Amino acid sequence: MKAKTVLGSAAVGVGLGTLLLPAAALADTTVSPATTPVGGTVVLTTTSCNPKAGDALFRVTGPNRDQNVRSTTAAAGGGLSAELFTAGFTLGTYTVTTTCGDGSNGGTASFTVTPIGGAQAGAGGRDGDTGVLVAGGALAAAAVAGGTYVMVRRRRRATAVA
Amino acid sequence: MLPRSEPVRVTIPRIGVDADIVPVATDTSGALEVPPLDHPEIAGWYRRGPTPGEAGNAVLVGHVDSLRGPAVFFDLGRLRPGDAVEVTRADGRVAVFTVDGVGAYPKEHFPTERVYGGGAEARLRLITCGGRFDPRTGSYPDNIVVFATAAR
Repeated sequence: MKAKTVLGSAAVGVGLGTLLLPAAALADTTVSPATTPVGGTVVLTTTSCNPKAGDALFRVTGPNRDQNVRSTTAAAGGGLSAELFTAGFTLGTYTVTTTCGDGSNGGTASFTVTPIGGAQAGAGGRDGDTGVLVAGGALAAAAVAGGTYVMVRRRRRATAVA
Repeated sequence: MLPRSEPVRVTIPRIGVDADIVPVATDTSGALEVPPLDHPEIAGWYRRGPTPGEAGNAVLVGHVDSLRGPAVFFDLGRLRPGDAVEVTRADGRVAVFTVDGVGAYPKEHFPTERVYGGGAEARLRLITCGGRFDPRTGSYPDNIVVFATAAR
């Protein structure tokens, strides 16, 4: 579910990029999404290879990896693509260099493997202070919406802490 | 734009933060590490990403609280667009950022691309926990994320 969400939003980003920068999309390799939590799947696509010349080879190099991935799918737009699973990838940025079936250059791109989800950055506070600290957590969330409510909670917290 | 140099201290005048920084990566489950709970006053810097002031998104993380009380990023959610965040680096230079916005996200809908995604500009993301602490799971349901861009 999470991977789908990420894929969807990144696909929108790539789409916009294509619209805004048509020249850059003519002959290139793309990775979607460009940022994935480790264990997610990215789709490698080249639009500069002739599918009739054979499969494209995507060479993926990065922090702990140097591997070749062969294209498995002819993309709807005429390109060649392959899925890449990032389970076991070291966090960091990877480069994809594409070679077409006829040996010509199929472009390059990069993608980033990131931590999964958010951070466990809290412990719930000491027993005796639980009420205060829950208020602090709620304050942070309420602060996003802004408004008078936040001010009230802040004063309450300040009183309680003191 | 600055060259790479690890951050050593973060200062956020608006909420009284002035904290040391340690490098962090991920835990065994692939989630972003946070500094040890016995040092809740310290912030962490995601060391696989850019350093503050470099091109791209630098990520700092800190606890909202510990078992003893409020922690380094307790008041992160109070930041507002326009507030300043200063990061002192090992090379002695100070990268100054301006807050663009603050968001609260359920951890299962963490905005990975907006937090870790790259770009030509030097940006900063600050992360802590938010929402109502769930004693059954021992964790907070949300992450508070502050989005900031290098001041010009």
